[in-house]
Amino acid sequence: MQILISAAKQSVKVWLRDSISAWDRFWFSPRYPHVLGILRIATGMMLLYSHSVLAGELFRFLGDNAWVNNATAAQLHDGTFGVSDWGWSYLWYIESPAALIAHHAATIVITAAFAAGLFTRITAPATWFLQLMYLHRLTGALFGLDQIVTYLTMYLMLTPSGSCFSVDAWLRHRLADQCSANRKLAWLLPAATPSVAANVGTRLFQIHLCVIYLFGGLAKARGELWWDGTATWFAVANYEYQSIDMTWLGKYPRIFSSLTHITLFWELFYAALIWPRLSRPIVLLLAFAVHGGIAMCMGMITFGTMMIVANLIFIEPHWLLACPPEE
Amino acid sequence: MSRKSRTSARKLGKPKSFPFRWLISAGIIAHLMAVFVPPLAFQTRGPLGSSPSVETLIAPVRSYSQFLYIDRGYAFFAPDPGPSHLIQVAIDGGENDEKMTERIIPNLEEQWPRLSYHRHFMLAEFLNEIYHPQGPPPQLAEQNPEEASRWIQSRARYVAARNSMLHHLEHQNPGKRVRIRRLEHQLPSFVEMVNNPIELRDPQLYRVLADPAVVSTGATADVAPLPYPDPRSNERSAQQRSKQRLRQLFRDDRVEERADERAGDVNQ
Repeated sequence: MQILISAAKQSVKVWLRDSISAWDRFWFSPRYPHVLGILRIATGMMLLYSHSVLAGELFRFLGDNAWVNNATAAQLHDGTFGVSDWGWSYLWYIESPAALIAHHAATIVITAAFAAGLFTRITAPATWFLQLMYLHRLTGALFGLDQIVTYLTMYLMLTPSGSCFSVDAWLRHRLADQCSANRKLAWLLPAATPSVAANVGTRLFQIHLCVIYLFGGLAKARGELWWDGTATWFAVANYEYQSIDMTWLGKYPRIFSSLTHITLFWELFYAALIWPRLSRPIVLLLAFAVHGGIAMCMGMITFGTMMIVANLIFIEPHWLLACPPEE
Repeated sequence: MSRKSRTSARKLGKPKSFPFRWLISAGIIAHLMAVFVPPLAFQTRGPLGSSPSVETLIAPVRSYSQFLYIDRGYAFFAPDPGPSHLIQVAIDGGENDEKMTERIIPNLEEQWPRLSYHRHFMLAEFLNEIYHPQGPPPQLAEQNPEEASRWIQSRARYVAARNSMLHHLEHQNPGKRVRIRRLEHQLPSFVEMVNNPIELRDPQLYRVLADPAVVSTGATADVAPLPYPDPRSNERSAQQRSKQRLRQLFRDDRVEERADERAGDVNQ
């Protein structure tokens, strides 16, 4: 009996040690920032586009004469209608058109700097915060694009995403001597070397993406049309979403029902199948196909593109770097 | 750990100490809870309310996830892809104005690029999503005052959003009278489409979502019959449409507004 107990204790000890070691490897292994650099450019450009489109119709969405005016936007969050939340924004209180224009111009400049990778250590958190303030102000006018670009920016700001493919990298190259002598400058202009920060940001976003797909799949699994195979038909038959007329699919029930079932199962099992190296290329290929289809046929080119970009987080940096730069 | 390997670890960006790693690990776990629990709470909400265990889990991370905008359900086209909801706008100069302009929101011809169109589409969906009928029925206030109070607040939320949209349209059309109502754009099944092909913008696929009045029996009925919407036409004159039908649209809205005013008086 004593032998059994001591064997069990030993097994638990080994299991715990292995678990801690696996956790350590998963979170604290240094990672190259090159994939994050590409994601920064794509996310920054999309945010810049989104802010530019908003600039053309600023007062339709901000201020006292907007579709959802300042007072109503605040009331939707502050508990006036029963439920309050922490989705606060100072934009609820800005009425002056001049102030709104100045604020928006500053937002565009900061976002452009983030996309270009200029002083990314500062412009990345600034871009994220400004985006968050717009999100809490634009209640009612948001969709999946806003979610995914905000999450990407949030995780990118935790990482040295500006250390490559950026103005920061160029500056670091130019100021190499000063960087080695000045720690603050070295922090501001980080080197494109493997880091734990790059890994933590990558892992957090990978898991967040898995959560998004898991609950997206579970929500679909509660419906009927995702099981009887007609969901894809009803998606393409929605005129308001349509950018390419795909209603000819109605003549081919076997095709649209296959697409429906593949989408459901891909989304449900994404969180499990994206990790093994064997299944990862298939899952990423399906992500490209599903989101590409949404982008091209369902009028959401911005959302579809950003979801494809988001999936790049599962690309290993060494896949991109035939010869990783010297440490 | 030797001095050489410490230096090499630092070069690789490894955290310096175990306490640091524990601290980072605690932060990671807390953040992942805030990522995972809100969509779980969304899915575990039922007619009787939220799952008590999930409510316990979400309590410590609710504010954090709300501020970071990660308190989402991620239910894209779920549980089933459904019909679209639109806003129909009628603009004229008053009772005696012969000319009325009608707009549908969203509209690809008016809102460009596609991102702008999609934001307007989401606004129309939002107005429909927060819709709550007039009321509450008198019996509910007696039987369940808490539920009746929630009803009043939900209705007030819809009215505030609707009035804000009306105000926006009035600001865009100074001196004009503006009315709005919700439309549902229904989806044909593929069997219907194959047997009897129909244009996706065919008027028979649009349904006016009238604001139902609550009657004493607890059932609902339309306040007034409404004109038939034809979203293919952006502008039409009174000669093309009977005066009576135009007035019906406005009469319906006036009845709705009077009912809201009465509800407001009761609340005060």
